[in-house]
Amino acid sequence: MSEPETVQVDSTPAAAHDDTPWERLHHRMIWVDVAQTVLSLAPSVVAVLVFGAEASWSALWPLLLVGGFGVLGAVGNATRWVFTRYRITPDYVERRTGIFVRRYRSVRRDRIRSVDVTARLRHRVAGLRVVLVGAGQQLSAGESALELDAVLRADAEALRRELLGGHRVPAAVAAGEEVEPATGTGTGSEISTASVDDEEGEVFARFRPWWVVYNMVSIWAYVMAAGLLWGAFWLTSTFGLDPAGWIEGLLDWEALGWPGTIAVALLATGALGAVGMAVNFFTTHWGFVLARVPGEKSTQLRTRQGLLTTREVNRDDRRLRGVTVSEPVLWRWMRMADTNVITTGLSVWSASQPTTILPRGPRSVALPVSAAVLDADPDPFGEPLRRHPAGALRRRLWWATATSAAVTAALWWCATNGVAPHSAAWWGGGLWLLALLGALVAYRALGHTISGDHLVVRSGLTSRATTALRRDAVSTIALRQSILQRRLGLKTVSAMTAAGWGTYEAPDIEADEALAFAVAAAPGLLEPFLVPDGARAPST
Amino acid sequence: METSPTTGTDTPRRLRAPEHPVDPRAVRWWVLRALCTTGLVAVVLGVGYWLWVPARPWLVVPLVLAVLWTVVKVVVEPRVRLAVHRWETTDEAVYGLTGWIVQEWRVAPLSRVQTVDAVRGPLEQLLGLSTLRVTTASSSGAISIVGLDKEVAAEVAERLTVITEKIPGDAT
Repeated sequence: MSEPETVQVDSTPAAAHDDTPWERLHHRMIWVDVAQTVLSLAPSVVAVLVFGAEASWSALWPLLLVGGFGVLGAVGNATRWVFTRYRITPDYVERRTGIFVRRYRSVRRDRIRSVDVTARLRHRVAGLRVVLVGAGQQLSAGESALELDAVLRADAEALRRELLGGHRVPAAVAAGEEVEPATGTGTGSEISTASVDDEEGEVFARFRPWWVVYNMVSIWAYVMAAGLLWGAFWLTSTFGLDPAGWIEGLLDWEALGWPGTIAVALLATGALGAVGMAVNFFTTHWGFVLARVPGEKSTQLRTRQGLLTTREVNRDDRRLRGVTVSEPVLWRWMRMADTNVITTGLSVWSASQPTTILPRGPRSVALPVSAAVLDADPDPFGEPLRRHPAGALRRRLWWATATSAAVTAALWWCATNGVAPHSAAWWGGGLWLLALLGALVAYRALGHTISGDHLVVRSGLTSRATTALRRDAVSTIALRQSILQRRLGLKTVSAMTAAGWGTYEAPDIEADEALAFAVAAAPGLLEPFLVPDGARAPST
Repeated sequence: METSPTTGTDTPRRLRAPEHPVDPRAVRWWVLRALCTTGLVAVVLGVGYWLWVPARPWLVVPLVLAVLWTVVKVVVEPRVRLAVHRWETTDEAVYGLTGWIVQEWRVAPLSRVQTVDAVRGPLEQLLGLSTLRVTTASSSGAISIVGLDKEVAAEVAERLTVITEKIPGDAT
């Protein structure tokens, strides 16, 4: 990433002359740490005193590990509180922390791109919030420029408003209600599609409990079930119960035989995993609201969500470049869709997924919300996409056949050498059928068009992604043609931008149309290099 | 800019190739590069085949493939590339045409350019060549023009740097 470095990490304060007083994080953190220590040790104590478990490492190690980590974390957290100071000067946000290695970090306030307020359960119980200041940095993945863990909820709100709004709201005023400041409301902005209220700005989407259906069915359900079962097994074993025996007694496994047993096991773990996913969905997305809220310099796209751990992400609208709606192939029939914004300065690799603006849900919600977020006329997601020529299908079929043939040849070679069974070559045939089907699915996913100020491209086999990208955000445009593509009369157009994945492609457009699409996708860029057809020019 | 891809433009237009070819010495650079990469793989496989008798049935296919690929990379690729590769810079944009199996036409506006470098690897220094690398704010939007004479590359890099410095904005 060639994003300019915006975060300074030095030992010399940038605004040393400034006499703004340094502030501490809130002292309630200490009480939270004490409570965490007690709670972490509680399971071990209960296991020994109530259930009479043997007080030894071998019997109690999972509980002791949990307790140990809990205590260590609490002590570390308390130490961090003692040594951390922060202050907001007119130009900088500064923080000093660390015991042995004193670290000073400053972020210039005009570089701040996002201020996120999150809270874990322990913060919420104590009425505290964590403030994450983002400056569009691409340091190590997922790292915030500056983190204040933790301050009072009212202070966090005031900080957020001050850093994004440019003026400090006294904490006492913000303490009472979560009311947005009346100043700086998006005057003159046209608000047509969504409801507007003073508290939450322009709301695009709210939590809908039935979206849980879309979040239960996933291959991750089995991973989750495996984790839950392992945890349950350990816990019950530690407390002297016999989970294996209990399961054996549930059904007559002998009568079911192997296939039956496997089927029951798959169904049961799948169901358990689905329930786990559902619980996870409710805890992370409860109270979800997507809204456009006013700020001083520009509007912000804000998501708020979470039952136990609340999370709020604010994205600067000036950095919004487009939206991607992706539909996983296995769940296409239930019209499942994920929605992400394309924004400069937010990493698509970040584990916290700051670009996701909607929980996984129905297409019928994702598309209108995306259109409203883009606020473009005409709606890029409403435009019918242009299909790609039959050559694109032929290219995919060729590749599917070639890949299958190579794999089959390799398998056959292994079979003749006696490494693989002779039936291996038949797997190649099965693979070929699957690959041909994949080629057809991938071809049907292709589409592209120009819609007003946006270019729209759609492609993808495992996940069909429809991307609307602002044309003025395209920095580099590339046309690509392989030998096979030349024989089929196709070209691939890539629009590159400083946001999101960096490259958005429209694969296998008919060659002449590809040029027209490229010319339109990056206005004015290709014109100087165009000549009337038939004119003298070296081969293109 | 209301020409949609559906209607096209009134007169059919096409993209002309960039103005300048690369330096003919680039052929030597591509040959050396092929020898240092796929050639090395072929040599290692050949030595393995020669020394390690039990593994011969396994090594014969990779060895043949590696030798064939090296021959193609040494004999065919550099000539095709020399015929294909072209470049051009204007006051508004950098335009490069590269590739042999897959050809790519790439245009970046100077208003989005972040850095301009003339890069010289060890082989290029040996041949008096240089690569012009123009990066944009997009992680994948860089344009590399290989096989330029080092004087030409340095001069172009300087000119582009002067132009990009005059353009305001943060290039995103």
